[in-house]
Amino acid sequence: MRQILNIAHYEMLHIIKEKTLFLMVFLVPLGYAALFGAAYVTAVLNNVPIAIVDLDDSKLSREIAAAFANSPHFKVVDDIKTYPELQEGMKNGRLRAGVVIPEHFEQKLARHELTRVLTVYDGSNLIWGYNTRKYIREVFNEFTASSTASYLAGMGYTKNEIRSIMDTVSLNTEVWYNPTFSYTNFLFLGLVMIILHQIGLLSVSLTVTREKERKTWLQFLSAPVPAWKIFTGKAIPYFAANFFNYALLLWFASRFVHVKIGGSPGLILVLGLLYDLVITGAGFFISLHASNSLQVTRYVMLLGVPFFMISGYTWPGTHIPAFINYLARLLPSTWMVLGFRQVVLKELDMSYVLPYIRALGLMAVLAVLPAVTFAKRLRPRPQGGPVLNNGPSYPARWK
Amino acid sequence: MLKQVMAIIRRELFYMWHDRGLRNILLWGSLTGLLLLYATYSAQVLKDIPTAVVDLDNSSASRELVDKIGQAEYLKLVASVASYDDLQELIKQGKAVVGVVIPENFARDVALGRQTRVLAVIDGSNMIYATNASAAVLTVTRTVSAQAGVSALVARGVQLQQAKAAYQAFDFSEEPWFNPALNYAYFLVLALALNIWQQCCTLAACLNVIGERGMKSWLQIKASGISKFRFFASKSIAQVFIFMAIVLPLYVLAFGVFKLPLNCSWPSFLLFTLAFAIAIHSIGTLASSFARNAVDAARFGMIIALPSFVLSGYTWPLEAMPAYLQKAAWVLPQTWFFQGLNYFAFKNAGWHLMSHYILAMLAVAAVCYGAAAVFIARS
Amino acid sequence: METIVAVKDLTQKIGKKTVLDGLSLEVSTGECLGIFGMKGSGKTTLLHILAGIDRFTSGKVEVAGVDVRKNEGFKKYLGLVTQERSLFHDLSAAENLDFIAALKNAGRENIDRLIERLELGEVLNQPAGSLEAGLYQRLALACALLNKPRLLIADELIGAIDLDSRRIILRELETFLAGGGTCIWAFSNADFLPHAGRVGWLEKGKITFYQPAEALARWNDRLQSLAGQGGDGGA
Repeated sequence: MRQILNIAHYEMLHIIKEKTLFLMVFLVPLGYAALFGAAYVTAVLNNVPIAIVDLDDSKLSREIAAAFANSPHFKVVDDIKTYPELQEGMKNGRLRAGVVIPEHFEQKLARHELTRVLTVYDGSNLIWGYNTRKYIREVFNEFTASSTASYLAGMGYTKNEIRSIMDTVSLNTEVWYNPTFSYTNFLFLGLVMIILHQIGLLSVSLTVTREKERKTWLQFLSAPVPAWKIFTGKAIPYFAANFFNYALLLWFASRFVHVKIGGSPGLILVLGLLYDLVITGAGFFISLHASNSLQVTRYVMLLGVPFFMISGYTWPGTHIPAFINYLARLLPSTWMVLGFRQVVLKELDMSYVLPYIRALGLMAVLAVLPAVTFAKRLRPRPQGGPVLNNGPSYPARWK
Repeated sequence: MLKQVMAIIRRELFYMWHDRGLRNILLWGSLTGLLLLYATYSAQVLKDIPTAVVDLDNSSASRELVDKIGQAEYLKLVASVASYDDLQELIKQGKAVVGVVIPENFARDVALGRQTRVLAVIDGSNMIYATNASAAVLTVTRTVSAQAGVSALVARGVQLQQAKAAYQAFDFSEEPWFNPALNYAYFLVLALALNIWQQCCTLAACLNVIGERGMKSWLQIKASGISKFRFFASKSIAQVFIFMAIVLPLYVLAFGVFKLPLNCSWPSFLLFTLAFAIAIHSIGTLASSFARNAVDAARFGMIIALPSFVLSGYTWPLEAMPAYLQKAAWVLPQTWFFQGLNYFAFKNAGWHLMSHYILAMLAVAAVCYGAAAVFIARS
Repeated sequence: METIVAVKDLTQKIGKKTVLDGLSLEVSTGECLGIFGMKGSGKTTLLHILAGIDRFTSGKVEVAGVDVRKNEGFKKYLGLVTQERSLFHDLSAAENLDFIAALKNAGRENIDRLIERLELGEVLNQPAGSLEAGLYQRLALACALLNKPRLLIADELIGAIDLDSRRIILRELETFLAGGGTCIWAFSNADFLPHAGRVGWLEKGKITFYQPAEALARWNDRLQSLAGQGGDGGA
């Protein structure tokens, strides 16, 4: 026990002494979370800039224009009046949507001639695209309902009658778990998990490579200290720091980014501990086998984006080909982001989260097992040759 | 002089090739990313959103409604369950994203003109599903209530024609521009692959200065009397050349094989990319000019490169971010590049706008190279 | 005499190069075996195998009666001074002693004695990385002796260091041997040949044993034959 604590103590001392590592372990996660939090803090995409090209200029067309102007989702850009201007505005980004009311619209409608209002929206960014399409439909549904109501009023029906006619079959929509369609609720905590994954791996995966580079690993190898004690001692500071960051970032997310964090605290705790354990174990394992810190840093840094994208957290797994889904299931990040959403956003109980806990638990065993039983022997490598940054050291400023 | 430059370029290419990690990253990093992401988004359009129905009425009228829901764009009936609880269960398990509950006595109430409420439930936990599902349900809502309303009017003795007129105030059509099918692969695949590409390039550029000064051969270079400017300029030419060389197969694959949209001209798009390659190279060079070692240089470079995609507003729009963050984001060349990718590849917003973007990225490069030169000169 | 190190047919290939080519050796308790060879002759390779650090291609190595491939147990009898600076250079001398003592599961009581004997009292608070070569080697030896090892493996224990440190280190080495310790000491400077009880001359992956005087004589012969050729070419 004394050995383990001593190793942990000196590893901690090292983290504190190496400035960049210290910043990376204790500041960068929060920094990234704050940055992303600021980016997503509005949560709902409102004020979509829209142009109304009213070629009819009738009472009806002005009513349509008013319907869009009154919607909180849209912000009418007043100075765009013609179709070419609309086209230009859509191209240069001043506009994300447009409504075109054709000439003689009201007249043609009265004569039952074929005519329709054209709505356009920007599909090149699908966050704009999906949301705007939904907003446009909402506005039109409302507008149609109100114009029907006034039509019926014109036919002499009373308010109550109108309501009973129009609500004969009413389709009420309930949106569960994220009723405001908050993008932040949707995405932010997934990103937090990836931040923890990346920073956790990047810091713990240097713990042995660094010793190798400085030759101090020889002291560990020649001493009668068993492998599992080296792992435990070296892993404790990182495990603790990662868990501290997990708690800190969740608190930050809830307090400042106003992300919904519901569900059972027990489950959040269990998921966090397991995830942390997998990352720490896997990072240590990488560290044992990597040739040097530079290579580890380079490879690990590139993992974040693809890991997140194939997890099914954003683009749903049902629409991802099976072989990618299988690949994703081998990664702890996949289970963590999906399991975490089950808990904090959907607030589900143990029975729905169990598969995720089981998978992470299995991974934790698989990650820790090789890390505690590694052979304390090096395979000597040939020195020199034309291969760069491949041996036990990398370029450092030379005096 | 040219001979000297060529010799340095040749040596740089040799070094990049013999750094096995760097070689793997540059050769395979972004290409693997592109293939993996293209496969991930190979469904391309989010159709067939899993939908479950609880038909408590089980009449011909309710079945007709179920059919209508099944035929709605993007929705796909995957289950028909007996109770609300079962539906809740399916949504909790993620097996259904949309649920529709048709109440008991639905047909009778409709026939009698009594009010009846159909409930639609959408799982909002995944926004991509939720916005699509919600848009689909909105359309169903309109047609269903219109039909019911017309029959209610007819039941009250209104002529069919007039009843329809009350409901068909007018029609509207939707045109999603620049990406008519709302193809998610068009939207994200290339951008994400380019994001990986810019990260790989940053990693390579982060060795530019420290990679020399960290090796003892730096003494040879210092002793040789070559100007530092010419030396690093030659190296940088080689590196930027490599960056462009690795983005080319990416573009050929993306635009040529996967048919992702490229609506501006090839030469202008390559020029635009070149300006960005120079800009990220300048950031890497800056990081490598003050770092103590190569690992720190890689860390500094990546601290900018990693979050830049989110900040660029390519996905969650810049316009929705706080003003101060928008201003900060426009300092990064990544913002200009990814915004430009949207404006030029999709929208062909014109040379005037593009030249503006290119100049902005070159300005960033000038500042970073300048700062790096100061660091190099002072050491 | 008890045999503490027994090596049989040890071969080590690194890449395509055969560094150790089927060598055998035995070291008895209380002996001081000098491993003599030029740079690149495989001294460090051999010592790292004996210390249970490196894997090896083939052969059998037993230290303190333990097959080093099968068991770690022998490491508690082991002290190692490496050729490369392997102390924790961002930790102070005192912290190095404390930490390495912990790694070796050795008691703290030894630390004070070693500080005194190796005269490290004044540099305890300095980072190991900033110590001068002589002081660094004294600290390295102190760290190696923390667990009162039965076998000291020392790689280039004394290089080009100040004479005072050299004296202190040699004195400590004598004390260690007098106390019944065994030492395997690798060096490339023929000046140290007389300090060894027996010399193993390592060349081209093979080892040949001599008495120190004999080894020194051969070395001088070689130098003279080179001088006779009139060249200053490498040996």
